[in-house]
Amino acid sequence: MAPASATSNLLNLSLSERAPPIQPWWRPLTLWTSYSRRHFALKRIEKVEGNISIKLDNGKDRENWQLSVGCNLPGKWVLHWGVNYINDIGSEWDQPPVEMRPPGSVPIKDYAIETPLKKSSAVVEGDLYYELKIDFSTDTDIAAINFVLKDEETGAWYQRRGRDFKVALIDDLHEDGNKLGAKKGLGVRPGPFEQLSSLLLKSEEAHPKGEDNSDSRGPSKKTKCLEGFYEEHSIVKEVLINNSVSVSARKCPKTAKNLLHIETDIPGDVVVHWGLCKDDGEKWEIPAKPYPAETIVFKNKALRTLLQRKEGGKGGWSLFTLDEGYARFVFVLKINENTWLNYMGNDFYIPLSSSSVLPAQPRHDQSEGHRQVETDQEVSPAAYTDGIINDIRSLVSDISSGKSRQTKSKESQQSILQEIEKLAAEAYSIFRSSIPTYSEDVMVESEEVEPPVKISSGTGSGFEILCQGFNWESHKSGRWYMQLLERAAEISSIGFTVVWLPPPTESVSPEGYMPGDLYNLNSRYGNVEELKLIVKRFHEVGIRVLGDVVLNHRCAQYKNQNGIWNIFGGRLNWDDRAVVADDPHFQGRGNKSSGDNFHAAPNIDHSQEFVRSDLKEWLCWLRKEIGYDGWRLDFVRGFWGGYIKDYIDASEPYFAVGEYWDSLSYTYGEMDHNQDAHRQRIIEWINATSGTAGAFDVTTKGILHSALQRCEYWRLSDQKGKPPGVVGWWPSRAVTFIENHDTGSTQGHWRFPGGKEMQGYAYILTHPGTPAVFYDHAFHHMRSEISALVSLRNRNKIHCRSTIQITKAERDVYAAIIDKKVAMKIGPGFYEPTTQEVYRTSFQPKERYKMILSIIKLNPFPQRHTSIEDRIAAHVHLV
Amino acid sequence: MEVSVIGSSQAKIGRVDLVNRELGFCGNFRPQIFSRKSKICFGQTIGWPQKSPIRLTVKAAIQSEALVSDKVTAKSKPIDGVRLYVGLPLDAVSDCNTVNHARAITAGLRALKLLGVDGVELPVWWGIAEKEAMGKYDWSGYLALAEMVRKVGLKLHISLCFHATREPKIPLPEWVSRIGESQPSIFFSDRAGEQYRDCLSLAVDDLPLLDGKTPIQVYNEFCGSFKSSFASFLGSTITGISIGLGPDGELRYPSFHNPARNNRIRGVGEFQCYDQNMLSYLKQHAEAFGNPLWGLSGPHDAPSYDQAPNSNNFVKEHGGSWETPYGDFFLSWYSNQLISHGDRLLSLASSTFNDVPVKVSGKVPLVHSWYKTRSHPSELTAGFYNTVSRDGYEGVVEIFARNSCKMILPGMDLSDEHQPNEALSSPRSLLAQIISACKRQGVNVSGQNSSVSGAPNGFEQIKKNLLDENEVVDLFTYQRMGAFFFSPDHFPKFTEFVRRLTQPELHSDDLLSDEAESVSSEQGKNLHMQVA
Repeated sequence: MAPASATSNLLNLSLSERAPPIQPWWRPLTLWTSYSRRHFALKRIEKVEGNISIKLDNGKDRENWQLSVGCNLPGKWVLHWGVNYINDIGSEWDQPPVEMRPPGSVPIKDYAIETPLKKSSAVVEGDLYYELKIDFSTDTDIAAINFVLKDEETGAWYQRRGRDFKVALIDDLHEDGNKLGAKKGLGVRPGPFEQLSSLLLKSEEAHPKGEDNSDSRGPSKKTKCLEGFYEEHSIVKEVLINNSVSVSARKCPKTAKNLLHIETDIPGDVVVHWGLCKDDGEKWEIPAKPYPAETIVFKNKALRTLLQRKEGGKGGWSLFTLDEGYARFVFVLKINENTWLNYMGNDFYIPLSSSSVLPAQPRHDQSEGHRQVETDQEVSPAAYTDGIINDIRSLVSDISSGKSRQTKSKESQQSILQEIEKLAAEAYSIFRSSIPTYSEDVMVESEEVEPPVKISSGTGSGFEILCQGFNWESHKSGRWYMQLLERAAEISSIGFTVVWLPPPTESVSPEGYMPGDLYNLNSRYGNVEELKLIVKRFHEVGIRVLGDVVLNHRCAQYKNQNGIWNIFGGRLNWDDRAVVADDPHFQGRGNKSSGDNFHAAPNIDHSQEFVRSDLKEWLCWLRKEIGYDGWRLDFVRGFWGGYIKDYIDASEPYFAVGEYWDSLSYTYGEMDHNQDAHRQRIIEWINATSGTAGAFDVTTKGILHSALQRCEYWRLSDQKGKPPGVVGWWPSRAVTFIENHDTGSTQGHWRFPGGKEMQGYAYILTHPGTPAVFYDHAFHHMRSEISALVSLRNRNKIHCRSTIQITKAERDVYAAIIDKKVAMKIGPGFYEPTTQEVYRTSFQPKERYKMILSIIKLNPFPQRHTSIEDRIAAHVHLV
Repeated sequence: MEVSVIGSSQAKIGRVDLVNRELGFCGNFRPQIFSRKSKICFGQTIGWPQKSPIRLTVKAAIQSEALVSDKVTAKSKPIDGVRLYVGLPLDAVSDCNTVNHARAITAGLRALKLLGVDGVELPVWWGIAEKEAMGKYDWSGYLALAEMVRKVGLKLHISLCFHATREPKIPLPEWVSRIGESQPSIFFSDRAGEQYRDCLSLAVDDLPLLDGKTPIQVYNEFCGSFKSSFASFLGSTITGISIGLGPDGELRYPSFHNPARNNRIRGVGEFQCYDQNMLSYLKQHAEAFGNPLWGLSGPHDAPSYDQAPNSNNFVKEHGGSWETPYGDFFLSWYSNQLISHGDRLLSLASSTFNDVPVKVSGKVPLVHSWYKTRSHPSELTAGFYNTVSRDGYEGVVEIFARNSCKMILPGMDLSDEHQPNEALSSPRSLLAQIISACKRQGVNVSGQNSSVSGAPNGFEQIKKNLLDENEVVDLFTYQRMGAFFFSPDHFPKFTEFVRRLTQPELHSDDLLSDEAESVSSEQGKNLHMQVA
C-alpha cells in the first residue's frame, strides 16, 4: 500500500536485483581457450548505523502542531502508530482521529495505523532521508502519540530501548518515564544533568520566551504546555549488500603459467584465502613461490592474499601466477575476521587450463606487465638482510670517518632493532604455536601463580563482573523475579559472576527505594518465595546475588503527635529517635546526620546503637533467609562510611558496593579535566569503610561522558598518566559502570552519550576495576558485543587490580594496554600498537588480536583499521 | 650486570685510540628494545633484584676488565674475538626430512644475522638421515636447512648425533632399533640389567653387530656420505663438525638413565658396565691383570642412581673402596674404555674431514655434582677417573690433542652460587680444571650453556667464562633457538648479551665523533672482546 515514491528509493536493494545472475559458473575445461572470465554475485550483510529523528514543531499557529518522524537509512519505512486519549485508562493504543491520518495510512486492527515514510524533499548532501509528518491540533483530546518504526523490507521493528516511542502532548504523563522530549531536571537526587541528544528547535528559539508556555487555555482542560523538541535516536540496520567478484583466467604464452586476475567491488580490505587442487583431489595445496604481493601462508594449508586497492574506487584486485599441474584454483573471500564469503556454501572454484590447451592469441602487453609484478616481489630474505647489514656497515664507516650523524645513526639503529624485534616476534609466535603443549603449560603455570585469589567484601574474588539485573521499569510486570529467573542461565553464560537484584523490601514507591517494613519482602518485583527461588536459581548457575539495601532512609508508617510521619511500623517499630535531627521535615529526635540528607523520607540515624543492631540483624537475616551473597548499598552519601564497615563486618558479604553519587566539577559549564576532588570524595568514603566495600566509579562515568561525547579522549588520562577516575587511584574498589536505573533507563537523569555506549563498555570491560553492566545494555542490541567483551575479559583474566599502561590519550583517540595482554583503543583517531608493544604484551597473540579487532569493530573506520587488522593478522597468523 | 659502569664513569682502557670510549657500548640503544629491564640498568638506585650478590658481581667484572686490559697492552697481537653461534631447534628437521617451522627459522636466522651472531649449530640425527635402512641416506631436509643458513649469510656448525633424544622425540634409526630388539646387548646396561637405549654401548664399537658391520664402520660411512652430500657447503658455510661420542652426544657413560629434574640434587649415578660385552672385556682385563676375581662384575658396593656418595661403601668419602687397589683397577679400566671409545670416534672424524677446511670437535660433559667431595663419584660413574688424588681429564684432553680436535664444553652458564649447597657441586672448578688441561695441551674449546631455560645469572657467568678463559675458548654456542629463546622474557636479555660480545659497531651515540678517529670495526671488535 505504500506509495510508489517510497519504494522506488531502495537503492539496489530490492529482492529482484539481489538474486544471483543465472549463468553457468563452471563449464568443462575444454570449452575454455586462452581467456575466460567469471562473474560471481556476492551477497553480504552489513550493519548500517543511522538515526531516527523525531521532531515536534508547531506550525501555522499555536493550535496546530506537527510531529515529524524521519529516518536517514534506506529502507521501506513504515510508521506503526496510535494515540492515547486524555481520559484513557491504561496504556492501550487507540487509532488516531481520521483527520490526523496522513494520506496512505492503513488501519491495523482497531488500535493502530500504519503510514509509510516518504522520501524527503530536502535531501542533504546526497543522503537519503525518509520522513513522515503528522499534523494535529491541540484541540483534540490526545494525550500522547505512540509509535514504532518498521522496515517492511526486512520486517524489522525499531523501538526505543525496547519500548514504544511516546510523544506526550500533555503534562501529566509523569508516571511514564518513556516519553520523548521530557524536561530534564526532575530527578529526586541532585546530580549533574546533561543535555543529551535533545536540542531545542531553532524555530522555537525564535519565539519570544514564554510564549510557548503561556498559552491560555480553557480551565476545563489540562494545561498543555507543549514544547517543541527534536531528538535523534541511533539505530542499526542490517542491510544486504550486493557485490561481485570477477575472475579472469588465462594462460601466459611465454611461461606456460596460468594467470588469474581477481577483481571485486567490495570496499575495504579483502583477503583472498586460496589454494590449488590437483586433478583428483579436494585437498588444498600451496604452490611454490612466488606469490602475489601481500600474501601470507595460513597454517600451511592455504595462502592469503590481500587484494590491492583499486585506484580511486571501491574494491580491489590482484594477479595470481600459477604453476602448471593444478586443475583448480579454489578460494573464499575474507572481509573481516568474522565474515567470509563463499559460493552458496562452497568454495569458489576456477578451473585452470592444462598445458595441452595453449592459448590462441597471446597478449604480449599483459604478460609483460605481469613479469614486472613477478620481479618486483622477488626480494629474497638474504638480500633484504644484507641490505640492513649494509646499513650497519655504512653506519660504522660513518662513525670511523668521524662524520657521525647522530640522528641518522640513531634512526638506523632503531630500524635495525625494530627489524630484529619484529623477526623475533614472528619467530616466537610460530615456535610457540607449533608446540602447543609446551606453551600452554607455561601459560597455565604462570597464570595460576600470579593472582592470589583472596576474597574480600571490597573486591569479591577480584575477577567479578556485575550485571545489574533490572531497570526502572522492571517492577511494572509485578513478576520480575520470575522473568529474570528465566535469564539466569543466559546471564551466567555471558560470563557475569554477580547479579544485582532490585531492592526487595515493601516500598512506598514501586521501584523499591522507599522502604517501609524491612522484613516484608513482598515487593512489586515478586513475593518473598519468588525472591528465594531466583536467588537459588542464580546460585545454581554459579552467580552471586547482591541485594539492593536502602539503609539511609525509611518510610514511616505512623505520624507523631505533630502529624509528622516519623514513627515506623513492622517488625522494626522504631520511633522518632531513629530519625536524624537535622531534617526539619521529619522532626527526628536522633543525632545529626553523619552525611547528606535525602529529603524525600526520614533519614535513619545510624549513630543509634539500637538502629545499628537492628540493621545488622536484618542484613544477617537477609543473608541467611534469602541467600543474598552481598550488598549494593543505596545512597551511602547519607551517613558515615564507618557504619557501613560495621554492617559489613556483621553480615560478612562476599561483595559489597556503595552508591556514592555526587556532582563532578565544572567550570563555566565545562567539565574540568581534573576530577581529583570528585574521586577523592568517593575514595574517602571507601576508606571510611576500611575498604570493606567498593564504590561505583561515578568519576569515570562522568569523564567518559565528556570524552566520548565531545571527542575529548585526552580526558581519559590524568596528569600522572593514570585513568582519571576512581579506578586510577583505587582500582580494586572501583566498580565501573556507564549506566544504571537512575542515570539511564526511563529516568535518564544522567544518560550516557547515545551511541557511545559500546566505547564506554570497551573501556570499563578491559580496564581494571570491577565492571558493572546495565541490564538494558546487556539484553538489548549491544548484547553480542558486550558478551564478546565480557568473555575477553574472562579469557584474559583481567581483574580489578590489572595493570594498565595508557599508550595514547589524544583528542580523538585513547589506547591502553592492560596486563601486558590486551590492547584496546577507542575513538576515531588512529592507533596501532607498535611492534614492540605487541611483542611485549601477551602470551596470547591470537586473543590479543581478537581483542583489538573487537574494539575496532565498535568504531568502524574501514581504511585504517583494516590495515591494522592485516598488520596484526600478518603478525599473528603466520603459522 | 656491569652496566652500572656505563652510568658511572667513562672508564679508560689501555688503548690510546680508544680513550673516552665508554664501556658497555649500549648507550641510547637499550631503551627501545629492553622494555622495563633496561631501567634497572641505568640507575643503580632502581630496584636491583638481589642486592649484595649482584653488587659483588659488578665489582668483579670491573676488576677483571682492568686486569684484562693490562694483559692486552702487554700482548703484541690481540687474539680474535669469540665467535658466537646459536643452536637451531633439535627438531629443526622432522623425521620425514622436512624443515620444521621453516618460516620461524628463517625469521630467526635473519634476526640472528642482524644481531651480529656468527653462525648456528645444527644437530644432524642418525635416526633421521639414515632412518630406514643402513646406507640409505636422506639428507634433503638438512640440505634445505643448510641452504637457508647460507642464504642468510651465517656460518654453520654441524653436530652429527649418533644418539636418540626423548624431548623432542628423535629415536635411533629404525633398523638399529630393530637390531636392538633381538640383541639388547648393543646397549649400555646397568647393574639391574636395565638398558639405556638412546645410544649404542661403546663396547660394541668394533663388533660387527649391525648387519655385519661394526658401529664404527657405520658411523664412518655416515660421515662419508655427509661429507660428499654437503661438499659445497664444507669450508664455506659449514665451518665445524662435531661427532657424537655417546649419550646426548657427550663422551660419557649414561650413568643416569633419566634426565635430571630441575633443582633436585642428583645422586651419584651408576656404573654402566653390565652389558654382555662390557662384562666380557672386564673379565679379560682382570685376567690379564692377574686378578680374575675382579673381572666377574662391577663394584658390588656402589650406590644406586639417586643415592648420596656415603650411602654405600664404594665412593665413600673416607675409606671407600675407590681408594683400594680394586677400586683403582676398576676405575682405570672403566675410564679407559671411555677414552679409547672417544679416541676411535675422534680419529674417525678427523680423518674423514682432514681434507676439508672444517674443524672437528667432540663434546665432553661437565659432570659437576659432588665435585667438592674427595671421590668425585658422579664423574666416576660417568667414566672420568677424576678424584682428589688423580687428574682424570688429562687423558681425555689428550685424545682431542692427538686428533687435532676441539673440545665442546657445556655448562658455561653455571655458577657455583646457584648450585644447591648439599650437592657439593662446583661447575666453575671443574670447568677450570678441564680448561687448564686444554690450555696445557693446546686444545681449543667451544663453550656452550647447559640450561635451555636460562640459568640464574647465566649470561653473566658465560661472559665471565669467555673472559677468563679467552685463550682457549674461541667459540660459544648458545643453546638453543625455540619459543623460549624468542620469548619477550628471554630474547631481550640475549640481545643485550650478544651486543656486548659482538657489536661494538652499533655504539655510536656515546661516541664523540672527533675523538673516535681511527676506530675501525675490526679493532673495535677485538677490543670489545677483551673487555667484555
